[in-house]
Amino acid sequence: MKKTLWTILSILLVLAFGLTACGPAATPTPEKIVETVTVEKTVVQVVTATPQPKAKKLEIFHWWTAPGEREAADAMFTAFKAKYPDIQIVENPVPGGGGVSHRVVLQSRLIAGIPPDTFQTLGGAELKNYVDSGALQPLDDLWAELDYAKVIPGPLAKAVTVNGHPYVVPLNMHIQNILYYNLKLFNELGLSAPTKFDELLNACAKIKQAKPEMTCLALGSKEKWGDAFVFDSILLEQGGPEYYVKLYKGEIDVANDPVFRASLEKFKQLIPYINSDHASLTWDQSVALVGSGKAAMVIMGTWAIGAFVKGSNWQPGVDFGAVTFPQVPERILLFHPDCYGLATNAPDPEETLNWLRVVASPELQVPTDVTQGGLFARTDIDPKQFPDPIRQELQSYVRDHPDKLILDQHGSILPASAQPIYWDIISAFLAQPDVEKAIKETANMMTTYGVKEASGWYQWP
Amino acid sequence: MEFRKGKQDKIKRALLDQLVFLFPMLLFLIILYGTLFWTIYVSFTDWKNINPNYQIVGLKWYKFLVSQPRFWVDVQNNLKWLILGVLPTTILAIFIAYLLELSPLPGVESYVRTLLLYPVAMSFIVTGTIWSWMYEPDRGVINTLLRQLGLNSRLPFTTDPQTATYWLILIFIWQYLGFAVIIVQSSIRTSELQEMVEAATVDGAGKLRILFSIVLPNIRSGLLVLVSLLLISSLKVFDIVYIVTFGGPGIQTDVLALNMWITTFQQRLFSAGAGLGVIIFLLAFILVIPYTLYAFRRWFE
Amino acid sequence: MRKNLTLQILVFLTLLVLSLAYLLPVYVMITTSLKSIEEINRGNYLSLSLSPQFENYREVLFGSPRFRSQMMPRLLNSVIISFSVTFLSLFIGGLGGYYLSRTRTFFARLLFILVGIALYMPYQAIIIPLVIFMARTKLALTHWGLILAYLILNVPLAVVLLGTFFLSIPRELEEAAQVDGASKIQTFFQVVVPVSLPAYASVAIIVLTQVWNEFFLALSLASPKTQTVQVVMAEAKGTTLVFYNLQMAAALIAVSLPMLFFLFLGRYFIRGILAGALKG
Repeated sequence: MKKTLWTILSILLVLAFGLTACGPAATPTPEKIVETVTVEKTVVQVVTATPQPKAKKLEIFHWWTAPGEREAADAMFTAFKAKYPDIQIVENPVPGGGGVSHRVVLQSRLIAGIPPDTFQTLGGAELKNYVDSGALQPLDDLWAELDYAKVIPGPLAKAVTVNGHPYVVPLNMHIQNILYYNLKLFNELGLSAPTKFDELLNACAKIKQAKPEMTCLALGSKEKWGDAFVFDSILLEQGGPEYYVKLYKGEIDVANDPVFRASLEKFKQLIPYINSDHASLTWDQSVALVGSGKAAMVIMGTWAIGAFVKGSNWQPGVDFGAVTFPQVPERILLFHPDCYGLATNAPDPEETLNWLRVVASPELQVPTDVTQGGLFARTDIDPKQFPDPIRQELQSYVRDHPDKLILDQHGSILPASAQPIYWDIISAFLAQPDVEKAIKETANMMTTYGVKEASGWYQWP
Repeated sequence: MEFRKGKQDKIKRALLDQLVFLFPMLLFLIILYGTLFWTIYVSFTDWKNINPNYQIVGLKWYKFLVSQPRFWVDVQNNLKWLILGVLPTTILAIFIAYLLELSPLPGVESYVRTLLLYPVAMSFIVTGTIWSWMYEPDRGVINTLLRQLGLNSRLPFTTDPQTATYWLILIFIWQYLGFAVIIVQSSIRTSELQEMVEAATVDGAGKLRILFSIVLPNIRSGLLVLVSLLLISSLKVFDIVYIVTFGGPGIQTDVLALNMWITTFQQRLFSAGAGLGVIIFLLAFILVIPYTLYAFRRWFE
Repeated sequence: MRKNLTLQILVFLTLLVLSLAYLLPVYVMITTSLKSIEEINRGNYLSLSLSPQFENYREVLFGSPRFRSQMMPRLLNSVIISFSVTFLSLFIGGLGGYYLSRTRTFFARLLFILVGIALYMPYQAIIIPLVIFMARTKLALTHWGLILAYLILNVPLAVVLLGTFFLSIPRELEEAAQVDGASKIQTFFQVVVPVSLPAYASVAIIVLTQVWNEFFLALSLASPKTQTVQVVMAEAKGTTLVFYNLQMAAALIAVSLPMLFFLFLGRYFIRGILAGALKG
C-alpha cells in the first residue's frame, strides 16, 4: 500500500513537473486552438510567408471572447492580415465581460514593465488612467497622417484626447441609451415607441393593464451598470445634455440640486414596472426576457442587437424595434468607444503603428463593427453597410449630427475610483428607493473621490 | 587533533541539519511575513493608480475607509456571517453527531457522513454556481419545484435586499456542516467520554441530560477548534459572495474581502485596498489567538 | 419505549431533511449536465434526461461558439499547480515539521507561533505585494508564480499537520537509527518518512484540495495561460447564464479531482480533515 502510494505520487509529480517544464510553451495552445478553429486561413498564411530571420510580431491584449465579440476580433485580425501578412499576431484574450479581468492582468504586465504592444481600452476615464501612468504614447503624428480627427465625430475625438494629445485610435462607438421594444406587442396594443419618460410610464401602464403577467421594463442589475443606464436616460431628459456632462464632471452641487432629486423621484416611479428579480440577471438575461416575451422593453446598448438576433432569434424591424431614449430636449446619443493605442516601451512599435493604421481604416471597421454590434467610428462609411435598419439610422444620425454624442457610463466621464461606487449607489437605490440617501451618498462620492478634478480633462461639446 | 576534528565535524553536521530542515520553511515564513509587512507599509502610502507611489501619508486611507458607508455595511455583514455562520453550524453539528451516537445503525452513520461531507470537496465557486441556480426566482430549482407542487412560489432569495445575506450564509452552513459533524464526532468518541456516558446511562440518566452535563463540557477543546476554524473561514468569505451576488443587490451582501478586491482592482486604490487587507488580518489574528495558544500548549507540553 | 419512538422519529426526520438538502443539489447538477437546452426549458428538473448529452462535456472541455471558456487547458493548469504545490509543501513542510517536533528551543517555539498565525493568514493581507512581485519578476507569466504564492500559504499548513504526526512517533525509532550511525537527515528520510506515509497521504489530499479549490489568489494573479479551473468556472457562469447544462457540466469538471479523492480515498480524506482541524 505504502509503496503504491509513493509510486503514484512520484509519477504524478514527474508528470506535473514535466508539464510545468514545457508549461509556458504548451499553454499558449489554448489561444491557438480557438484561433485555428475560426481563423484557419490566416494561420496558414503566416506559416508560408516567413522566410525572414526575425519574425515581425504584434502582441495584442483584448477581452473580446464572448459570442459575437470573438467573431469581431477575428474580423479585425483578418483585416490586418490582408494588409500586413508578414506580421504575426500574438493575441492575449482575457475573458470576462467588459474587460474586468483584462485590466487586472494588463496591470501586472504594465507594472512589470513588459507591456504588450497594444491593448484594448474604452477611452474616457480609463484612458486617462493609462495616460497618467505613462502607459501610452501620444499619437499626434499618426492622427495627422491619417487626418483621423476629420473623419470621426468631434466628441469621439475629444473622448480620446487628453491634455491636447490623442492617445488611442477608436474603432467603433457603442450607443448606450437605446430603448428596445417588442414590436409585435406594440402594434397589437397600438402603442408607439416612447421617446420621453412620461410616454414610457404611459406605455407601461397600458401594457400592465392589457398583459398583467408581462414585465414592462426588463433590467439586469447583477453587474450593476444596467441600473445606471436607465438612470442616465432619466437624467438626460430631466436636465439636458449640458447638465449631464456637468454632473459627471462633478460641477453640480448634488446635495441641493433639484434636477438630480427629480430624476431620482422619477426613477422611483418606474420601479414597480421593472422585474423584481433584476438583481440576479445580467444584461443578456434582461434582453432575453424581452426576447422570450416575458418583458416588453429594455434599455440597453447597441450590443443588444446581436443578443436579440443570436440569443432569441429576433429580427430588428420585425420582432423588435429600437429608439434612442430619451429624445427630449434633444436627441443625444450616449456612447463609448473601443480603442487601441501604442504602449510605452512596446517591443514592436513599427508593427503597432501599422496595426493602428489598419484600425483607423474602413477595411477593419466595417467587418468588425458590423459583427460586434457597434457603430463605425468613421463617419465617412456608408451606413447601409449595416444589415439592420436600426444601426443604419443611428449611423446616419451620427454622420449628420456629430456633436450629439456624449461619453456614457462605460467609457466614462467619472473617474475609475468613483465609478463602482456610483453604480453601487444607483443599484442600492433600486433595491431600496431612498431619495435622500442616494443624494447624500452621491454628493459624498463627488467630494471623496475628487471627481471635479479627476474629470476636468473631459471637454464637451 | 582527532578530538577537535571530530567536534568540527559534529558542528558541520549540526549546521547542515539545520540548513536542510529549517531553512526551506524559514524561507517561506520570511517571504510570508515580508509580504504582510509590505502590505502594512503600502496601507500608509498614497498609491492610487497603476504606478506605485510610496510616499507615506499616514492614516489617510484608513480614514477614507471608515468614512465610507460601504465599510460599515461590510462590518455589519461580516458580523452576521461570523455569528450566523458559526452558531447554527456548530449547534446543528452537535445535534446530528449526538443523534448518530444514540442511533448506532452503522449504515446510517456512513450514509450521513458521505452525504454531508461531499461539499467539502467542492470549491465555493462550484457550490455558489449550483446554489445560484437553486435560488433563482424565475427559473431556479427551488421555486420551480415548489411551483410543481402547486404553490405559487417566487421566493426572491438573494435578490431580496433584506434577506440576501442570510441566504448566502445558508450556503456556507450547507458546505461546512459535514466538516463540523466529523469534528464533533471525533471529539465525542474519545474513550474517556465514552466511559463516562456509559456510566451515566447505567445510572439511568436521560439522553438529554447526558448531552448537556457530560458530553458538552467534555468536548470543549474540540468545539474550540471547530468554532475557531468556522470563524476564520467566515471572516475570509469572498468566493460565495463574488459568484452569487457580487455584493448586490446594491451593496447589501458586500463583505470586507470583496470590498478589498473591488477597491484594489477596480477602483485601483491600492493603499486603501492594503488597508482593508490589514484590517482583515487584524480581525483574523484576534479571532485565532485562543486557538493558537491552545495548539502551542499541546505541542510543547 | 416511548423514548425510543421519539428518537426514531427524530432520526428519521433528520435523515429526511438532510437527504433532501444534500441529495437534491448534486442530483440536479448531474442530471442537468446531461440534458439539452430544450429539455431544461421544459422545466422538469427532477427528471432524468431522455437522451443524455455527453456531448455537453466535450463542449465544455474543448469549447464551442457559445461556450468559449474551454476547460481542458485550465484543468491542466489546475493539475500542474496543485500537484506541484502539494509535493513541494509536503517536502518542505515535512522537514520543517520534523524540526519543530524535535526541537524545544526558544527559537523553535517562536517559529511555531509564527507558523500558527500564518495558518490563518487571509490572502487579502498579502495579495498586493504578491501581484507586484510576480509582475516584476515575470513569474506571473508562468505557473511558478501561482505555485510560489500557494506555497507561501500551504507550507505552514503542511508543517503543522505533519509535525503533529511526527510528535506521535516514538523517539526509539530514530534513536535506534542514530546509534547505527545515521545522520539526522538519513534518519528522517529512511526511518521517519516511511513510517509517516499515511499522514503524508492525508496531508497531500488536504493541500491538493485546498489549492485546487482556491479562488481569490487564482483570480488576482491569473494570466490567460495560467488560469485555473475555478477562475474559468466563475467566468463560465457569468457568460453562459442560460445554459445551465453547460454550467453544471463545467461545475462537475471543476470538482472532479477533489471529488475523486473523496470518493476513492475517502479514509485519507477524512483523516486529513480531522488532522487539519484537530491537529493532534
